[in-house]
Amino acid sequence: MRAAIEAHDAGANVGVISKLHPTRSHSGAAEGGINAALGNAAEDSPEIHAFDTVKGSDYLGDQDAIEIFTREAPGDIYQLEHWGAFFSRREDGKLAQRPFGAAGSPRTVYAADITGHVLIQVLYEQLVKRDITVYEEYFAWKLVENDGRCQGVISWDLLNGGLKTVGGKTVVLATGGQGRIYRTTTNAYACTGDGAAMALRLGLPLKDMEFMQFHPTTLYPTGILLTEGCRGEGAYLINSEGERFMKRYAPNAMELASRDVVSRSEQTEIDAGRGINGSVMLDMRHLGAERIIERLPGSRELSMTFAGVDPIYDPVPVRPGAHYHMGGVETGNDGETELTGLYAAGEVACVSVHGANRLGGNSLMETITFGRRAGRAAAEWALSNTTIDVPASAEADAERELKALLDVSSGERPWQIRNDLGTSMLENFGVFRREEQMVAQVGIIDEVRERYQRGVIVEDKGEIFNSDLTQAIELGNMIDLAACMLQAGVARKESRGAHARPYDYPTRDDENFMKHSISRWTGDGPELSWKEVRYTKYDPMERKY
Amino acid sequence: MQVGLKVWRFNSRTGERELQEFEIAAPEEATLLDCLDIVKDQHDGTLAYRKSCRMMICGSCGMRMDGAAVLACKMRMYDIAQAGHVPVISAMGNLPIIKDLVVDMDPFWEKFNSVNPYLQPGYDEPADGKENLITQERMNVVHKEALCINCGCCVSECNAMEADPLFTGPQALAKAMRFVGDPRDGQKLARLEKLNGEHGIWECTRCYFCTERCPKGVDPRDAIAKLGAESMKEGIDRDMGAKHAKWFVTSARTTGWLRETELVPKTQGIVTAIKQTRFALDLARKGKVPPPFPPHVAKNVKESRRLHDLVRDQGVNGFAGIVQGEHALARLAHGHGVGDQTLEEIYDRPGAYHRPFIADEEADA
Amino acid sequence: MRKVAYYKGCLASLSAKELDSATQALAPKVGLELVELESVTCCGAGDIHEADPDYYLHLNARILSYAAAEGVDTLLTVCNVCTLNLRQANFMLLGDTELRARVNENLVSVGVPAYERDVDVRHLLWEIAEGEGYELLKSAAHKGLKGLKIAPFYGCQILRPSKIQGFEDPDRPWSLERIIEACGGEAIDYPAKIKCCGFPIIQAREETALGELIQPIEQAYEAGADAIVTPCPLCHLSLDAWQSKLKKSTGRDFKMPILHLSQLVGVAAGLEESELKFKRHVVSVKPVLEKLEA
Repeated sequence: MRAAIEAHDAGANVGVISKLHPTRSHSGAAEGGINAALGNAAEDSPEIHAFDTVKGSDYLGDQDAIEIFTREAPGDIYQLEHWGAFFSRREDGKLAQRPFGAAGSPRTVYAADITGHVLIQVLYEQLVKRDITVYEEYFAWKLVENDGRCQGVISWDLLNGGLKTVGGKTVVLATGGQGRIYRTTTNAYACTGDGAAMALRLGLPLKDMEFMQFHPTTLYPTGILLTEGCRGEGAYLINSEGERFMKRYAPNAMELASRDVVSRSEQTEIDAGRGINGSVMLDMRHLGAERIIERLPGSRELSMTFAGVDPIYDPVPVRPGAHYHMGGVETGNDGETELTGLYAAGEVACVSVHGANRLGGNSLMETITFGRRAGRAAAEWALSNTTIDVPASAEADAERELKALLDVSSGERPWQIRNDLGTSMLENFGVFRREEQMVAQVGIIDEVRERYQRGVIVEDKGEIFNSDLTQAIELGNMIDLAACMLQAGVARKESRGAHARPYDYPTRDDENFMKHSISRWTGDGPELSWKEVRYTKYDPMERKY
Repeated sequence: MQVGLKVWRFNSRTGERELQEFEIAAPEEATLLDCLDIVKDQHDGTLAYRKSCRMMICGSCGMRMDGAAVLACKMRMYDIAQAGHVPVISAMGNLPIIKDLVVDMDPFWEKFNSVNPYLQPGYDEPADGKENLITQERMNVVHKEALCINCGCCVSECNAMEADPLFTGPQALAKAMRFVGDPRDGQKLARLEKLNGEHGIWECTRCYFCTERCPKGVDPRDAIAKLGAESMKEGIDRDMGAKHAKWFVTSARTTGWLRETELVPKTQGIVTAIKQTRFALDLARKGKVPPPFPPHVAKNVKESRRLHDLVRDQGVNGFAGIVQGEHALARLAHGHGVGDQTLEEIYDRPGAYHRPFIADEEADA
Repeated sequence: MRKVAYYKGCLASLSAKELDSATQALAPKVGLELVELESVTCCGAGDIHEADPDYYLHLNARILSYAAAEGVDTLLTVCNVCTLNLRQANFMLLGDTELRARVNENLVSVGVPAYERDVDVRHLLWEIAEGEGYELLKSAAHKGLKGLKIAPFYGCQILRPSKIQGFEDPDRPWSLERIIEACGGEAIDYPAKIKCCGFPIIQAREETALGELIQPIEQAYEAGADAIVTPCPLCHLSLDAWQSKLKKSTGRDFKMPILHLSQLVGVAAGLEESELKFKRHVVSVKPVLEKLEA
């Protein structure tokens, strides 16, 4: 939405294609906050923010992108506030900022613990204000490539049925991540990596695919997110004995160490038998009812509804869950991809701002700052070029493929394949990774793909609201992306950020692996290459919290 | 656990409508949404419903269970299954059904758009380009209205909208209040004028279904009352509904008891009142139209008069008069007795979890 | 006998005098000694809550204060809207010491005692649907309703918002049915029994209100009800006094008698017409009385 608003304001004619109504997007589920070096709560600067982000990325983030990001973030926040975003405030009326993981200064601007909701609302309001066209409940399926350019999108009209092609001089992908590859995830059902898959199949490079962030505090058993903001407000992580175990892993930052560090610490405790039901406990009792109700009401409601626990009285069982994908479609600093006319921003993109691990609060900021940049770049290119040419064959090919999918009469229902994929990914490509398991997982994904290609049965052959069809297509997207993730994971023989190989390669290997993995699709499967990290001034250091 | 569901299937293209029953095996923590997923995956892939976040924030999965709108992802099924109850699942009300549990949300969004649901700034941006300075307390005027996730549960159950589909409705009006109460918005009066129109705030029937059904605690009825209060404060009070309300105030500070008979002409104007004469005579015959003279005056009514003037001078009027009670009423939503215990008492509760401590240090309190 | 403060509200004082007289006659039979509050005003309905919310809070605080001054624990109401207004104001004061202090300061400055001792606001419906009131009801309803088919119409504000009212499940209420049966009647079930009668907008938006009003009346009629009973005099006004307007919009003359709760129980308990005052109803209650005499 931020890209659309910017493109509109730059003078372009904009259409938004979304498989959900825009306010249903999963950014709305973000809770804790959005980072910018405003300096309201304490001394801060974009340089410190950049350093925190580079260090948080375990030195895999592209430093020029990070510098642009931290420099422009404050202005973007003020813009949102001017548009009417409902942020929490300090006593002096300024925007409040809370401490968050691995932040050198409290810089996470927030709205109680429903920051994503507030941002989705303000962006949608601005969309409505500008009367921007939304092709709502259009399931984007294929990008149209013609004459060396991206010239549009072919979608399945979920609401009314039929393939619909929307031509555009430029296309911006803002389709989010693919947490649904994992059985336990904070992500919505919609997060199936459709955009990344579309780009992948055009032969575009996907960067850093092996890096999936596991959020430390997802509810047991559903995987629903409990914000880092709980720990920002002072919550403790305790094991089955009541010990605040983070002291042994990150003695300075404690619960507010970087997410990958905390997830690994939790998993270690759980694996050592100091967990309960495969979880540790998030203890907020000492925060007091008033503070919890004022600052963390959403978290309380989630705990009560989905874990049956009131955090005022009892600790909440939490465990690591797949949350955010650092990797994605490779872009430059203006969201431009290798294909002229195609841009990407947000979780689907990999600029890379987050490198091997993302700081909490940086993702929401990324969507705004790079959404804006991509929107403007896409608009400017579009305004200086006149033609759109969508070949008839594009849609005809899609029709044929669709018919083939609907005609399948023998095979499996998608849910079985989806569950097998999700369970095995969690087991073999989770917080801790081992060579044998990853290699086995490569084989499992191959099997899964074979089952998928042999036949998935779409029971609903109808036109209106055929989510049975779209769910089958989503599964295919996830399988291909998973293959890329595994290939890169096996090849990266070090531990960095969220890619942790404590049994075979426990340390970082800057000499050989301080570089991005690049995955390209060959038709059969992914092909791997490497690319240098863009450096400005932050030398790699040992990463301790 | 075994869960039984009855689902109303409907196809707007063919017009076919059927109540189908399903029996499924689901995990104990399953929600209604989880159960629908199991039905769709394993029993009937043609079942249509919306879903996304499954954590009560995206607003996709509004639907009716036993005739009352809920978020499917919020509805835990354990107790229902244990009681052996088989709920009837159907699409939300007051909106056209497209297929099964999927409704056409266009009318919903049209009403949303009709209240200009975006900030219309009434100021120059701050000179330093930074944020407008606003206290949390001032923003909290619209704290509840800002919680709205556009799920449609309130609209589904609105009795006024059922009787008049053109009624703007609880969601759009609550969204309107979100801006009327935002100090940065510069169009308050224009907004209120529009909201006092034919299908605006005075068409609300005060059935409180919206407040009851809302899964997020928005309290749309209270939002509508805030709009009414602010309208009256700003002197926007030409609507019959406003006049009706004003007469209650006048009655309370003159006679204490409601001056019922004069209510009709005071609300509807003399002309309409005269048109109602036949109707009024029918009522009068039964003594339902008590003569306004002598006035029925309550004892010690001067206390009421003094109170009226005193609070008027204290100026907690308009929406502020309603917001002032929200702090206390929020405690009702949070649960009785919450927050009354000390930390020690919480740690010492029977069955309480371990106290947190750091190893190698003195135990934390 | 339990002493309770009695707040009758505007309608029971004026256009719905029959409600007051039936209630006063019934009360001793169900163990209630009513102490009528006189230094009170209209509770404001939804109207003062909307038009002058601070005044609404103070008016209701005054009523609560005078009730507390009678030394009772319970303030008894006979109207849904009064019940909601008083309970809501009560929760506002009980849950916020600063607000209560400010309101009390204002009350005292105009000569009203401060509201210090807490009272609980309860509708008569709740008093006689369970517990001792219910037991006394059963023995008092000796004359019985002889299997008369009664459609309960709750009226929105006795059920919702349930976080304020809280007596029963707002979607599956049972109190009226229980009382009907205890009085020897047969309770009719129908969907609109928890929906809105339209009264709050019956003047400002008549057409919309009538679109709501038709539902309980038509449904009760088609379910074979002999009468509708309601605990709210505002609903009663809609259902009874405005019923004739439905003739014009639907062409149907339902002639459905509408009884106040106190009257229904009163009839079963053998109260006289001088106490029940059925003659004040617009829609004749004769068919019901005839069935009972038969």
